[in-house]
Amino acid sequence: MRRVAVSGIGIVSPLGCTTAEVWERARAGQSAIRRLDAPFASRLVAPLAATAVFDGAIHFEPPKLRMLDRVSQFALVCAGRALADSRGALEGLDRSRAGVFVGTGMAGTLTSDEGYRVLYGEASDRIKPYTVLMGMHNAPAGWIGIEHGLRGPNLTYSTACSSSAVAIGEAWRRVAGGELELALAGGSEAPLSFGSLKAWEALHTLATIDADAPETSCKPFARNRSGMVLGEGAAMLVLEPWDRALARGVRPAGEVVGYGLTTDAVHITRPSVDGQAAAMRAALQSAGLDAARVDAINAHGTGTQANDPVETAAIRQVFGARAGSIPVSATKAVHGHLLGAAGALECVLSLFAMQHAVALPTMHLALADPQCDLDYVPNAAREDVAARTMLSNSFAFGGTNAVLALSAAA
Amino acid sequence: MTNTFERLRAILVRDYKIAPEALTLEAPLEGLGIDSLGVAELLFNVEDEFRITLPPEPVQLPTVGDVVDYIDRLIVAQNADAASTDAAAESASRLG
Repeated sequence: MRRVAVSGIGIVSPLGCTTAEVWERARAGQSAIRRLDAPFASRLVAPLAATAVFDGAIHFEPPKLRMLDRVSQFALVCAGRALADSRGALEGLDRSRAGVFVGTGMAGTLTSDEGYRVLYGEASDRIKPYTVLMGMHNAPAGWIGIEHGLRGPNLTYSTACSSSAVAIGEAWRRVAGGELELALAGGSEAPLSFGSLKAWEALHTLATIDADAPETSCKPFARNRSGMVLGEGAAMLVLEPWDRALARGVRPAGEVVGYGLTTDAVHITRPSVDGQAAAMRAALQSAGLDAARVDAINAHGTGTQANDPVETAAIRQVFGARAGSIPVSATKAVHGHLLGAAGALECVLSLFAMQHAVALPTMHLALADPQCDLDYVPNAAREDVAARTMLSNSFAFGGTNAVLALSAAA
Repeated sequence: MTNTFERLRAILVRDYKIAPEALTLEAPLEGLGIDSLGVAELLFNVEDEFRITLPPEPVQLPTVGDVVDYIDRLIVAQNADAASTDAAAESASRLG
């Protein structure tokens, strides 16, 4: 197995669209969650969202923009930025040995929503001719492949909230195993359509609005947590052999060292302690790491009633007596739940945390829950946490648990 | 014809931000970034602008000029239909 570097990163997120901005806001615990400003907001029980400040018209010519759902716009912009950040990863590359691996949970839900509005709302037959091409799940990956001429595998993973952790893990395996020389891997999600928000609302997993401070409505691991807040955005990573990146004079952001993948096989929504714990163990095993080597964890930490105590118990099961002394960060409190892009964004935040020797805070954690009794780095970042190895957890409806093992650039 | 071209050009400038000088009758739409599906979408706006109804059959319209000709043919045909319908209605009312 070859060492795999993360040699380029591109982000579009509620926390910002440059790596510096995203890092500073995550470190400062500045929440991007807001009352949703949309025409349909009055029909939502709790109109909250974490939106990205992003205008596709800045990035694409109008004829092309009309062919791209927001989810593909995010993905394309992030892929371009990740490649630029890699300072020449495509140069001299046999592009049949370069792949694209994208996770998305809901893909073109905005396009579907608009199509239904025309068909049912307006009783019109004028559905956009691009509807299928904009709405299909593999559109973001397909466009990235076209844009950069990447002719190896072009794959889309849709395992709900673990989609992009799966995409990065599957890409890592192929680069580590020698099948590919480069992979663009990550996730993209643009789930803030009326239909999608109503459907999530009907599932009773969304947070209620904190009337005093709406931006604090998502409270992972807190006793008064009431659910998750949907967010939009994307994160794409350039993965390539460590030596190849170094030969170009690039200092990688970090290293993917392992990947664990398990399935609960129990219930379509209810998480399983055993399934999550098995995924963390599998990640350690694939990295050849002892549990004692893990310095910090980025939790899945959704802020739902169901997830947080189960994840706490799973971490306890894997790390035993040491569990309480491992910093566990739940950054969804500030960037919301990006569903199929969550794993990629949190993987990037974990790499940044190691780079800066900081444990990111779990914000809005004022009231402790006796069932959630780990060190969540509550409410303020912790400096001088010299983490060398982290796990980034992503667990999903459907039961697909994906855990990435990451190391600081060394 | 000139009128149709000007009105079509206005749509293309407004919705696709294409430079007016690039919009000649000979210009291939694909070269302007509008592929065959893009033309299908463009025709929705054409229906509204020219108050015509497009037949469901797919058409190949590679250039701006082809779209102009297509619109003009539909305008003529649909005005003739409307006229004959009006005439039929008028003669029916006389009978009444």
